[in-house]
Amino acid sequence: MKKFSNTYIFLYVTALVVVIAVVLTLVSTGLKPRRDRNKQAEKCQQILRAAGHDIDRSKAVAAFTNLAEPLTDDGRQYRVVCADGTEGVAFRLDGKGLWGPIWGYAVVSEDGQTLKGVSFDHKSETPGLGAKITEQSFLKSFEGKKLYDKDGNFVSVRVLKPGTASEIAAENRVDAISGATLTSKGVDKMLEQLETISLSSPEGASAR
Amino acid sequence: MKKYLGPLSKDNPILVQTLGVCSALAVTAQLKPAVVMAFSVTVVCACSNFIISLIRNTIPPRIRIIVQLLVVSFFVIMVDLLLQSFVYDVSKMLSVFVGLIITNCIIMGRLEAFALSHKPLPSLMDGVMNGLGYGLVLVVVAFFRELLGSGTLWNHQVVPDSWYAAGYLNNGLMILPPMALILIGVIIWAKNRVTER
Amino acid sequence: MIEIFLRSVFIDNMVFAYFLGMCSYLAVSKNVKTAFGLGLAVCFVLTVTVPVNYLIDKYLLREGALTWLSDRFAATDLSFLSLIIFIAVIAGIVQLLEMVFERYLPALNMALGIFLPLIAVNCAILGGSLFMQERNFPTVVHSLAYAIGSGIGWLLAITAFAAIRERLKYAKIPPKLQGNGIAYIITGLLGMGFMCFLGM
Repeated sequence: MKKFSNTYIFLYVTALVVVIAVVLTLVSTGLKPRRDRNKQAEKCQQILRAAGHDIDRSKAVAAFTNLAEPLTDDGRQYRVVCADGTEGVAFRLDGKGLWGPIWGYAVVSEDGQTLKGVSFDHKSETPGLGAKITEQSFLKSFEGKKLYDKDGNFVSVRVLKPGTASEIAAENRVDAISGATLTSKGVDKMLEQLETISLSSPEGASAR
Repeated sequence: MKKYLGPLSKDNPILVQTLGVCSALAVTAQLKPAVVMAFSVTVVCACSNFIISLIRNTIPPRIRIIVQLLVVSFFVIMVDLLLQSFVYDVSKMLSVFVGLIITNCIIMGRLEAFALSHKPLPSLMDGVMNGLGYGLVLVVVAFFRELLGSGTLWNHQVVPDSWYAAGYLNNGLMILPPMALILIGVIIWAKNRVTER
Repeated sequence: MIEIFLRSVFIDNMVFAYFLGMCSYLAVSKNVKTAFGLGLAVCFVLTVTVPVNYLIDKYLLREGALTWLSDRFAATDLSFLSLIIFIAVIAGIVQLLEMVFERYLPALNMALGIFLPLIAVNCAILGGSLFMQERNFPTVVHSLAYAIGSGIGWLLAITAFAAIRERLKYAKIPPKLQGNGIAYIITGLLGMGFMCFLGM
């Protein structure tokens, strides 16, 4: 077996590390715009979906600039034109699912009373169970639900197992996903945030 | 040619050598991420086998593990960046498991056992074949898990609605982690029946 | 913090929920004593490497992490290097631990020594660091709780599995299923058992 001096070993590793680092940096910077664009397009598509627009990922950014404008600088609130022509406010929501974070957008009508639509996404919920929160059938059930009860108290839109807590009116609740109790609870909790953030928003305060 | 085909059946890295199960099974709940994962591992395995074999005579033996790790992680990061740029949705599904290809024992194992002592082209072949052998198991497991667990394949529904109407239910257990292990156990059983009679 | 700890022991168990460290899990579980030794070593290395990598991630790699040096670096994002740096840190720390043990703690070295080199390429260790990065813990103490929890979870899994495997010698298993086949199935069944902790 060949013998290698310490100097050789040291130089060898240094050269290898430098080469790898340089190539990776080049590739990473080269592809960064593309990756950022992907993230941006996904966000736009998600907000538009909450507003009822079904738009392809590739056209999402262009459509978004036409239909929505930011309300705050932090990218969490947008004024957006819904599919039915009315305007609403999209709020970013964050919550915890069973395995990891879940998040989404909720579009609230201009008077702050009604949920126009929602869209959710998740990091690692169980496919086929918790992951169903991203499916149309579940999202559709939120459309047109009321955030306040008849007496004007905030109740949020509750995600509840069919048949439980019957004191909550049908217009204030949707059915949870069977088999995904904890993820559904996470969505339920997430929607409760709407009370505070919709009132703190520059638009929401005037609406109430 | 024949000696390269071993990894696909007789010397399958997962089934026989029990290598590389770690990072693999978590992505087999659906077919699509499993195929992308299989493809990524094949690419990383083949490329790093090739490179290590090219420079095998210049690597000082004392630091060969570090050199191997560096080369493997280089390719893994490349694959990760490419996935994020071009198939964003799938890269989200795979999350940290792309990174874990680095510690996939198949790759390090092949580098040690084959690439360090063979010429570049055979090493490339060896890498491709081991990657494919690994991918094969992944895809088989994912096929059954998606079919029985969600009634879909590649996100298209294959179990007809009339079955659901007649009372057929998806087996929710299939998509949970433990079933992946049990499926592999069964596949090993079946494979043993076929290959060593 | 206790929640993070319990979660990582039982619910997000490295072996049963994420299949991490399966290679050594299957290879070194022939008897309880060695399994326990390896489990301890994994536990130990996780506890050391995850917080170290947490600090590296927070102060070097993350987007805007370098602002403590100068505001000019605010937009620098080195996270694409995190994989390579994590693995290097792990390999380095394992090597260092080995040397320290050899010199100062010969008794511990006897117990853990043979397992340490195995650990650098154990996916559970790198996985620990990657999940730590993904979960965005607020402080280093949270990451420590997570590391200890995951380590104990792994230790628990491999010890339980080794104990079952020792018993298995007396069971009648179909000949073609013996060895790895039954090992996978048992792991699956154990995993189902652990799923009961989900509602916690």
